[in-house]
Amino acid sequence: MKVSLFITCLSDTIYPRVGEAMVRLLAKYGIQLHFPTVQTCCGQPAFNSGYWKEARESAKTILDAFEDSDFVISPSGSCTGMVHHYPKLFEADPVMHERALKLQRKSYEFTQFLVQVLGVKDVGAVFPHKVTYHPSCHGSRLLGIKEEPMELMRHVQGLELVPLPFAEDCCGFGGTFAVKMADISGAMVTEKVDHVLETEAEVLVGLDLACLMNIAGNLRYRNQPVKVMHLAELLYEGVKQA
Amino acid sequence: MSTAGNASTVKERAELALNDEFLRKAVKFTTERLRNGKKQASAEHGNWDDWRERGRQIRLHTIAHLDYYLNMFANQARANGVHVHFAETSAEAVKLSLEIAQRKQAKSVVKSKSMVTEELHLNHELESIGVEAIETDLGEYIIQLAGETPSHIIIPAIHKNRYQVADLLSREAGETLAPDTSILAGFVRKKLREKFLEADIGMTGCNFAIAETGSMVLFENEGNARMVTTVPKTQITLMGMERIIPSWADLEVMATLLPRSATGQKLTVYMSGITGPRREVDADGPDEMHIIIVDNGRSLQLGDPEFQELLNCIRCGACLNACPVYRHIGGHAYGGTYSGPIGAVLTPALQKNVAEWDDIANASSLCGACYEACPVKIPLHEMLIYLRRRKQEQGHGNAAESFGMKGFAAVMGSSKRYAGLVKLGKLGQKLVVRDGGIRLKLGPLKGWNTYRVTPSLPKKSFRDQWGTLEQELRHGLKEVAPDVRSRMEAIVQGRDSKGGNGHG
Amino acid sequence: MAKQADSHEEWLKQQAEDSKRKQEAFMNGIAQKLRRPRVTSAPEHPFRGAPDFWQAFEWPLEERVDRFEANFKAAGGHVERLADMEAAKRFIAEKAEALGAKYVIRQNQPELNGLGLEETLAASGAEVRVWNSEAEENWRARAAESDFGIVIADYAAAYTGSVTVLSSKDKGRSVSLLPTVLFVLIPLERLKTRLGEILIRFDEAGREQLPAGIHFISGPSRSADIENDLTIGVHGPGVVHALLIG
Repeated sequence: MKVSLFITCLSDTIYPRVGEAMVRLLAKYGIQLHFPTVQTCCGQPAFNSGYWKEARESAKTILDAFEDSDFVISPSGSCTGMVHHYPKLFEADPVMHERALKLQRKSYEFTQFLVQVLGVKDVGAVFPHKVTYHPSCHGSRLLGIKEEPMELMRHVQGLELVPLPFAEDCCGFGGTFAVKMADISGAMVTEKVDHVLETEAEVLVGLDLACLMNIAGNLRYRNQPVKVMHLAELLYEGVKQA
Repeated sequence: MSTAGNASTVKERAELALNDEFLRKAVKFTTERLRNGKKQASAEHGNWDDWRERGRQIRLHTIAHLDYYLNMFANQARANGVHVHFAETSAEAVKLSLEIAQRKQAKSVVKSKSMVTEELHLNHELESIGVEAIETDLGEYIIQLAGETPSHIIIPAIHKNRYQVADLLSREAGETLAPDTSILAGFVRKKLREKFLEADIGMTGCNFAIAETGSMVLFENEGNARMVTTVPKTQITLMGMERIIPSWADLEVMATLLPRSATGQKLTVYMSGITGPRREVDADGPDEMHIIIVDNGRSLQLGDPEFQELLNCIRCGACLNACPVYRHIGGHAYGGTYSGPIGAVLTPALQKNVAEWDDIANASSLCGACYEACPVKIPLHEMLIYLRRRKQEQGHGNAAESFGMKGFAAVMGSSKRYAGLVKLGKLGQKLVVRDGGIRLKLGPLKGWNTYRVTPSLPKKSFRDQWGTLEQELRHGLKEVAPDVRSRMEAIVQGRDSKGGNGHG
Repeated sequence: MAKQADSHEEWLKQQAEDSKRKQEAFMNGIAQKLRRPRVTSAPEHPFRGAPDFWQAFEWPLEERVDRFEANFKAAGGHVERLADMEAAKRFIAEKAEALGAKYVIRQNQPELNGLGLEETLAASGAEVRVWNSEAEENWRARAAESDFGIVIADYAAAYTGSVTVLSSKDKGRSVSLLPTVLFVLIPLERLKTRLGEILIRFDEAGREQLPAGIHFISGPSRSADIENDLTIGVHGPGVVHALLIG
């Protein structure tokens, strides 16, 4: 059984600690992750901007990397969601299309894998803090990841989960949108952070590093001390403390 | 306060809107209410996704056989005594409407809400031949007095507050009206009552047209659409060619989806099915009834696998209420007749994707809230990507972006070049990182860093650390629990046999 | 284009011919864009109407009454359950007295004709007009000046809190629309559970049997167009009494 890690470029380059937390957490369950280094980026920035030829260049590295994997796990609902677009991206090429379908079927976001495949609800973590959760759009809407993170957090000892007002609203990241429509994006992230601050939570947790980077960036810009964590980090931190 | 102004791009119009504190508050307040109303109504009704799917299937089926159903509708409506007309372009639709008005020697036309007539700028055209056109939906009336266009499909005056409305209506009344909604609405009732009774023509849009009986159906709350179809001697209905549903049975599904999605109502106060002009013996209803079936770019979507589903839209406005971008910039920033996510796709699609409209497809973070809200499940978030792709394939892409994307492909196409670039980035950032973050407001970081601090790259990327990490974990790794292992094996096997993604 | 039409009738005829030609082109264009031949016989429509689980759904009578009442009231309407038509007459008379109604317009329906509303309301000074009872009268104007409109519902649906009225020679559309206060009398046996139970009848009846106007009314006229603040009685009746009879 080959379980592979699809690290995603943000975790690889900016947040390696998230990848590490995920790897260590899964090791607890005997899952030895395999990391094919030919992988680069899922291609979403180019795909969403309409540059599909360029997106295919990047996506090919992902298809190559996980050709012989049985499960592909990533710390991002958005990048996993991008893999779900691969069949459309490669629809003109029957061979690539078939490979894309195969990869789609075996791709899992981290909490999906933990809860649906490993059947884990309680990782045995202790995290005595006030936490609020931002459900990222692509994971929750397009992949339907709604219950999994809730289930995992409910079982963390001491964790007080405060509902985030208007949680389902987009944080305003949207890839190149944040650059092209900087002011709209800025208004959105400002509103999101206003809601985060309303909860008076110590920690904001999520499943997508792009959104978390966006929210953390605005928190920092406003000198707000709320800590931003990926759920894998939080769980692993909690396991260490248990 | 029309934010459309002279700004030529979505970005410029959005900036104006973002700086209009009142507009943002008003839009936020109302969309929030509508959004919550929809959530409650759909939850209370139950099985919402089954209903959405049913609605989608009915719309898909009808559009896939549009020639059959539209033809049937036209024949049946004609058999009911309706004068049916076909207009391929907005110019043809305008010409027909004006010709009827002239033939009837009309002095005034009372109108109920119709987005199609907004597409045609029909009020303006009627005025140009000396026919007074009066919007009778309260919100539309306010907008008309202000000389603006609707900024929301369902709540046209969403961007106006009661004080602004009181000012507009006071001017019309010739006396000062208090900014009290019941006083203001009371004035409009009285004023428009006279207009209804003296108007020569009543003009309507059409929510649904029932093919099998040639009936047209209107949903409304105020009663003005009933007025317009009951009182004047002549009725003109303008309908988009895609408004068709096969039967009254299908109307139950639309009546379940539309009001709940639009306002959270179980049904609008009035739902009227009009089947032809008044019968000979009837003492009210129009003597003469015209239905103008309008294409105006709609048929361009037919046979286009990426956009045909756009024709399924039932104009409920739920995507506007769900959209975080719409909430911040309001409807006028979109610059077209239709705003919000549906407008961002529909406007370019109806205009053959011409470049001048393309940039509105960029006004989305692709969060998918529109798709989730849509009662007939139109994948607007995907259509936005298709529009962006078509734009750049047709050579309308932004030069700097194209250059950047070529670079993206070159780097991301090879893990070696990718790793190399990351190393370079770590070197380069030394110039700009302060206290573990980048605050520089220059170049591509300008917009981003106006609202955020950018994180710096850590010393070692994940792939730099992988070797050590893997070594460390390999020792003392537990066995996978037998039940988990067998579950994993079953999943892998099931995947091969049944296809589909089987999860998420 | 044919020669310039002189009379309106001629113009309409000319338009009809143009329209039929245009219709052919329109439909052929659609078929062509859909990349298939014209569809000229009824396609199979496997998704017609509401989902199956819904079609079987029905409430017992008492629950229909309760739900109708709750929904109609939630929309701002008033509901009374009355024993018989006599009681309905008394109810209307009391309201006429209380509100000082001057003009009342009612449909020309047998159930109302035998009720003696005219005499009862005359006692409190209200004049009752009967829709379309004289050929020369401007009935729209009579309805518009009326304080009360009185109609009998053809159907009602509990699930949405709606009443259905159909137009005819004796049943004006204006009567349920133009007066300030509307009374809708609903014989209990006409109260259904779902909208679909009513809609399906129009399919069954077929085009030729349909009246010009079929109206579903679910409360008083309303608008939320000014600051999303609910305003009642914008164009249609601002007060609506649904009287369940039986």
